[in-house]
Amino acid sequence: MLAPRLIAPLLGVALAIALYPGTWGLDAVARGTLGPGFWPRLALIGLALACLAKLVEEWRREKAADASIPLPTFSPVKLVAGIGAVVAYVLLTPLLGFALATALFIAGFMVLCGTRSIAALAANVAIGTTALLYVFIKLVYLPLPKGDGPFETLTLALYRALRLF
Amino acid sequence: MFEIFANLGAGFVNALAPLNFAMILLGLTIGIVAGALPGITMLNAIVLVLPFTYLMGIVPALLLMIGVYCGGVFGGSITGILFNIPGDPMNVPTTWEGYRLSRQGKTQYALGLAIMSSAFGGLVSALFLAFFAPPFAAFALGFSTVEFFAVVIFGLASVSVLGQSSMPAALISLFTGIFLGTIGTEAQYGVERFTFGVPFLKTGVDFVTVLIGLFAIGEVLEQLVAVGPAAPAATPERAVPRLPLLDLWPLRWPLLRGTAVGIAIGGLAGAGATVSSFVAYGLEKQISKRPELFGTGHAGGLVAAESSVNGSTGGAMIHLLTLGIPGSAATAVMMGAFLIHGIQPGPLLFTKQPEQIYTIFAGMILANVVMIALGFAAALSFALLMRVPAPILNTFIVVFCFLGAYALRNDLADVWLTMLFGVIGFFMRRYDLPIPPLVMGIILGPMAEQYFLTSMVSHANDLTVFVTRPVSAVVLACALFMVVWPAVRTRQRRASPQGQ
Repeated sequence: MLAPRLIAPLLGVALAIALYPGTWGLDAVARGTLGPGFWPRLALIGLALACLAKLVEEWRREKAADASIPLPTFSPVKLVAGIGAVVAYVLLTPLLGFALATALFIAGFMVLCGTRSIAALAANVAIGTTALLYVFIKLVYLPLPKGDGPFETLTLALYRALRLF
Repeated sequence: MFEIFANLGAGFVNALAPLNFAMILLGLTIGIVAGALPGITMLNAIVLVLPFTYLMGIVPALLLMIGVYCGGVFGGSITGILFNIPGDPMNVPTTWEGYRLSRQGKTQYALGLAIMSSAFGGLVSALFLAFFAPPFAAFALGFSTVEFFAVVIFGLASVSVLGQSSMPAALISLFTGIFLGTIGTEAQYGVERFTFGVPFLKTGVDFVTVLIGLFAIGEVLEQLVAVGPAAPAATPERAVPRLPLLDLWPLRWPLLRGTAVGIAIGGLAGAGATVSSFVAYGLEKQISKRPELFGTGHAGGLVAAESSVNGSTGGAMIHLLTLGIPGSAATAVMMGAFLIHGIQPGPLLFTKQPEQIYTIFAGMILANVVMIALGFAAALSFALLMRVPAPILNTFIVVFCFLGAYALRNDLADVWLTMLFGVIGFFMRRYDLPIPPLVMGIILGPMAEQYFLTSMVSHANDLTVFVTRPVSAVVLACALFMVVWPAVRTRQRRASPQGQ
């Protein structure tokens, strides 16, 4: 089985090789001087060489029986849940609008982080979302997503209720 | 010399006039708050206050902008130290050490050091500006893109001291950052690179999205998935900053070196605070007898980086005031303020309107002194957030990251990128790939490319120009030394009986 520490450098080499052809056509505009393909080419070659050096380093470490140092453990379930919550937040914002999506995210992520008190959840959702809306709409004039269809109507009603308009 | 003192005295009298002093206070407050908010940079704040200066005289207008400038370069350090979210790229090296100190329960100490060293750097820089601006400007005017390229390479070379545990790992990170910096429309020829037909990639990957993602989201995920007892966010002492005058004395040499680097690099038109903070940090680590402690909460690294950031403000003003050439984006906006009021900055300003020039100098000095008090007040307010329980804090950090990324271009694509880099940051931590070199690559890489290609066009692809021009040759030699010296030192240690 592939040692976990080898995954990153192998991925790096593969990425550099896959992206390198993208630099081929870039220098056509340069006409005899170093063109816009030079710098990314340099970066990709450097990346590939650094990854190869890392592979050698890991191989040497393994030979020196130093590979027993395990990677730090973590809870994969929590990781997936955490990333899922963040992805859902960004994904749902255009549909639900910033206000509703943020309220749901605050509640969900706090539960994920270990908060169990309903009062704490409710207080943070209500005060946090309202404060954010006031600061970023009323003070910073940030055009936050209002949502789509009925959610837009809901957001606008909320804004009116909070006197943000 | 006597004339300078007399002019400066008159400048202080003007700067202390109620309206002028109020503008300094207002500017500092706006700057510190804007600098501390991720996604809203010091430059954004200066641009935002520009329209408000139309109705003011030139002196209060410039004092307001100088206040924003000085406060803004410091503000980003507060959130960097407390939450691992640097407000601006220039605050990244401060974050590396400050956040580690904070995690060790030394938040007071870290915040205090940051405030004091930032104020010291800014103060010395302002004094330098007042006394040596014209001769320094004449010297720095001889620099071209060749010298700027050398300085940026010097900054990038400090990756050698950031990759203490594994140099290949640091280089993987650095080259990844440099590559990410090439995505988008190339500046010189207008060619699209690696955009894959995605519209928002045409303007490139904004490094703020990378910074917020790698540092803040990565850290939140790290804390979320930690198995066993949560990593101690050690806050045995209250996070209230204290005045570390005595603590600063043992750190006087990093403080002086950082300030000197800040003034020197800030004085190069186009270089600026970000480059100077990376160079000062790298230099400090190189000089240190215990370089292995950098990245674990090293006070010397924090002090050097922070003093260089504010130390660069005076240097950047030199070109604007003496030659009428803005030395940074921030001073370019200030030049706009001069022009709005019908004043052309340049050498004649010193002879025709010395009272205004010296009021600006005095204003910069005052701003840095007042910043100590305002910085403590701001740090105190932000530090209260440290008492908030981790689940609430982490949740709101994600929301603020969302807003910080979204505020860049009002585009959810930037938020997606931030979240993606958050996940990447998490796995980089797990697989021992250092994050700082990636950040350096994405910030300094595009600068290096621009200076390099411009130099090549100007000098007919003659690569020897980098070693035939004396300043460039010296700086590149220093960069080479920086790369080679750690390897030599490691060999020496291994060869010595103790090392064995």
